[in-house]
Amino acid sequence: MAHPTFSSSGDVTADVVIVGSGVVGAIIAHQMAAAGHSVVMLEAGLRLKRSDIVENWRNMSFHNRVHSDFQGLYPQAPLAPAPLYFPANDYVGLNGPDGSAFKQGYLRTVGGTTWHWAASCWRHLPADFRMKTNYGVGRDWAISYDDLEPYYCRAEDAMGVSGPHDPELQSPRERSRPYPRDMIPFGYGDRRVAELVNPHGFHLVPIPQGRSIQPFEDRPSCCGNNNCQPICPIGAMYNGIQHVVKAEDAGAVVLDQAVAYRIDTDDKNRVTAIHWYDADKKSHKATGRTFVLACNGIETPRLLLLAANEHNPTGIANSSDQVGRNMMDHSGVHATFLANEPLWFGRGPAQSSCIVGPRDGGFRSTYSANKMILNNISRVGPATQQALELGLVGQALEDEIRRRAACGVDLSVSLEPLPDPNNRLTLSKTRRDPLGLACPDIYYDVGEYVRKGAGAAADQIKQVAGLLGGTELRITTSFNANNHIMGGVIMGSDPKDSVVDGDCRAHDHSNLWLPGGGAMPSASVVNTTLSMVALGIKAADSIQADFQGGRV
Amino acid sequence: MIGKGTRAASVRYVLGAALGMASMTGVALAQDAASDALVARGRYLATAADCAACHTAPHGGKPFAGGYGIASPLGSIYASNITPSRTAGIGNYTEAQFSSAVREGIRGDGAHLYPAMPYTSYAKLTDQDIHALYAYFTHEVRPVDERAPATQLPFPFNLRFSMMFWNALYLDNSRFTPDPAKSAEVNRGAYLAIALGHCDTCHTPRNVMMAEIGGKELGGASLGSWIAPNVTPDPVSGIGSWSSDDLFRYLKTGDVPGKAQAAGPMAEAIEHSFQHLTDDDLKAIVAYVRQVPAIRDAADRKSRDSFGLASGREAVIRGAAGTLDNGEKIFTGDCAACHHPSGGGSKDGYYPQLFHNTATGASIPDNLIAAILEGVDRTVNGQHVFMPGFSHGSYVDELSDQDVADVANYVLTQFGNPAVKVSVADVVSIRNGGPKPLLARVGGYIVPAMVAGAVVLLGLIGLIVARRRKA
Repeated sequence: MAHPTFSSSGDVTADVVIVGSGVVGAIIAHQMAAAGHSVVMLEAGLRLKRSDIVENWRNMSFHNRVHSDFQGLYPQAPLAPAPLYFPANDYVGLNGPDGSAFKQGYLRTVGGTTWHWAASCWRHLPADFRMKTNYGVGRDWAISYDDLEPYYCRAEDAMGVSGPHDPELQSPRERSRPYPRDMIPFGYGDRRVAELVNPHGFHLVPIPQGRSIQPFEDRPSCCGNNNCQPICPIGAMYNGIQHVVKAEDAGAVVLDQAVAYRIDTDDKNRVTAIHWYDADKKSHKATGRTFVLACNGIETPRLLLLAANEHNPTGIANSSDQVGRNMMDHSGVHATFLANEPLWFGRGPAQSSCIVGPRDGGFRSTYSANKMILNNISRVGPATQQALELGLVGQALEDEIRRRAACGVDLSVSLEPLPDPNNRLTLSKTRRDPLGLACPDIYYDVGEYVRKGAGAAADQIKQVAGLLGGTELRITTSFNANNHIMGGVIMGSDPKDSVVDGDCRAHDHSNLWLPGGGAMPSASVVNTTLSMVALGIKAADSIQADFQGGRV
Repeated sequence: MIGKGTRAASVRYVLGAALGMASMTGVALAQDAASDALVARGRYLATAADCAACHTAPHGGKPFAGGYGIASPLGSIYASNITPSRTAGIGNYTEAQFSSAVREGIRGDGAHLYPAMPYTSYAKLTDQDIHALYAYFTHEVRPVDERAPATQLPFPFNLRFSMMFWNALYLDNSRFTPDPAKSAEVNRGAYLAIALGHCDTCHTPRNVMMAEIGGKELGGASLGSWIAPNVTPDPVSGIGSWSSDDLFRYLKTGDVPGKAQAAGPMAEAIEHSFQHLTDDDLKAIVAYVRQVPAIRDAADRKSRDSFGLASGREAVIRGAAGTLDNGEKIFTGDCAACHHPSGGGSKDGYYPQLFHNTATGASIPDNLIAAILEGVDRTVNGQHVFMPGFSHGSYVDELSDQDVADVANYVLTQFGNPAVKVSVADVVSIRNGGPKPLLARVGGYIVPAMVAGAVVLLGLIGLIVARRRKA
């Protein structure tokens, strides 16, 4: 078992230096450590205890719960802020016509944002890799679906994904092997909605999920606390901490409260070291043979820009001027209505089924695809709020809460932005974090492609609501963020207009990898984590191949 | 039950063997000769004796190929390969050699086994049952040509021949004989519980030489991290307050709501062995256990499944963030989501209640600590009961020694035996495999100790051992 070596001053040397300990960094760390390499992970945030987070959630106010505050219960390192919205801390400055649609909730903590994801483990469709070729919009990936498919399988194995064994229910169907576990069984609401909408082409399918109804490895079975976001209270949902622990068992060392800020390069533009500040603002240096930045879609481009040096004056990996550009998220809308019969959403995991009929088609040459998640988060909170607003009291209030909780439907609709270089992350000239490092600013415009797609989605929503006898239909009018941050270190075959290659290796630096959402050149309409992990594993394979081939 | 069918089967076997002898030799002969009924009988006996518990490595090990390191206080003892492989297993064993290994602890090559192999219990097995087990292991079990790791205990325990003297003192090599004063069911139960099930191996305390103490049968003992409790019929210290149905249900499922859930080695015993026994055999074990001499610990005041009640704390503590002590905070953060804030568990019983639970009511808290650290893992009748552990490497939460002590004390006070206290040192001990018996603690000094206390022969050999150490 190989371990990084530390100097008396706290500097460290390892075969692999990884910045970020979220799911992508942790899975790479585990693979590399298990292969016998010394690995150090630099994590800006704190190492948290689940019990503390659960307690913070239990004591959270009704207002924060009903408005989905997923961030506030996670303590932040004093020197490594992350976004907060109750109230807003403006760590990420947003501007542009749809700046408010880019309010991302991500964690800087050991284990990363999968502490509060919903564990949806979707694959992109084969067509999503060829947007330019197929539909004349967006970009093609540097790799095909077939290239990534084995890594999707390995990602599903690593995270213990439950997904449908029935090909009719798979999206996409192109798979070389079954999911590690069969789908989480549909709840009553999923089955009933499928009966009503599927005859009209909506194709309701189970969401593949990083949890299971039987124990998986040392992970207990999901018992439907319905609390995936903001915290699974029993650890039944996959999160990055599981691979942090596995990586540590294989010899990797995680340094928390270690904020990376500077990157050294040599005359061949290979990375030689990454500098970080510890909790006492003391600077240290991590030297290594290979380097991975897996800090998330905002923090990775921010660090690359912050770390501009003499040889790379516009930022590390940025000779193409694409670092921080093409920022994407599944800008979405929510639609709520009351069905004319009880559907009892809110039992089981927070996400369960999803309408994928409008996921692909020739229309994508002109407007965005969408997917509609039948949100399975308990409706008791919103139902209570609505019933109180009606001025009811006593038994009438209780009955109305019950009716609204039973019949309430919330569709979370995700749309697909195109990569637009003008949607750009830059370093703030005015705001700095407690270490004096520039905070990120992001300009965001969802674009006509999404706006048109939202119009089409609205028609589909009305049809779905109609099939369920829906009343009080409300569709949000401003776009919301979905925390699927993509594009900032975009992948491509041409180093002139992209940042990384098909292995997520930086075009500019042969020993630097930037895997994760930032590398994704097309958004599809599905949650990004599985694709991020697949890219991470592919990157890890290429790092291993470099060690084996004596190239590092 | 054991009688007729088995005897008939063995008669058939002998006849078959005699008939086959003209044209066949060796194993091939025996394969043809063993009747299905005999092999099936051997399979059932192997299950009742729970051979797989040690000889099949957990998590997908090949059946009976060994390799599982049994954590003993003296070091890991590796279970041997008992498949009929001629190179790595017992494929070359005659039935006599097989019998010696199982009942006398002597390997085919003459070397002595350590009593991690419960041959002191198996010594009670009848010749017919040894015959059936031999037929099963040589005919149905598939050979695996992979050698199990060699056991390497520290000196002086690596001197396997020293077991000869231990055996002289502690091995009663006599077969089971029914007690005519007891019912057929109790006798059957005694045979199942001791000769096959070797309940005594864990539940009977051992003396300084790691031999079971006479007169303390099933009185409870430490297994390292876990405690095998007193299962004598004493109503306070044992299981006298349990109904026969409760005991039957426990052996069949490992789960008696409002009393106890099996974890650790007992969960393995239920998973691999007890749940597969016939109802009549389980009832016989219950009948036997209910009539062994009751053992009372004078310090015990009431039975360990009768402590505690539901908590109403949840309504009091909300909105008072930051005011909870560490134990209660960990309880509500890590335990209450499954066991319910009241401690009442889930309605379907998948998550057990914490009050009226032997793990929280016992006078020794080891099983509570071990359950927190190692979790619970039991698959019975297709249902996988799983509680994650909270030790290092936990996917759910890694708790420190102080955290475990704090939450254990909170649970004991709120739901269990409030007189029991858990210290950080207790948690450290359980985390490291539990209290060490004297034999392990004194290590090499046991040789002169044996010389002082044992028979003359033992003393002489002790001198030889001492001379070898000098050489």
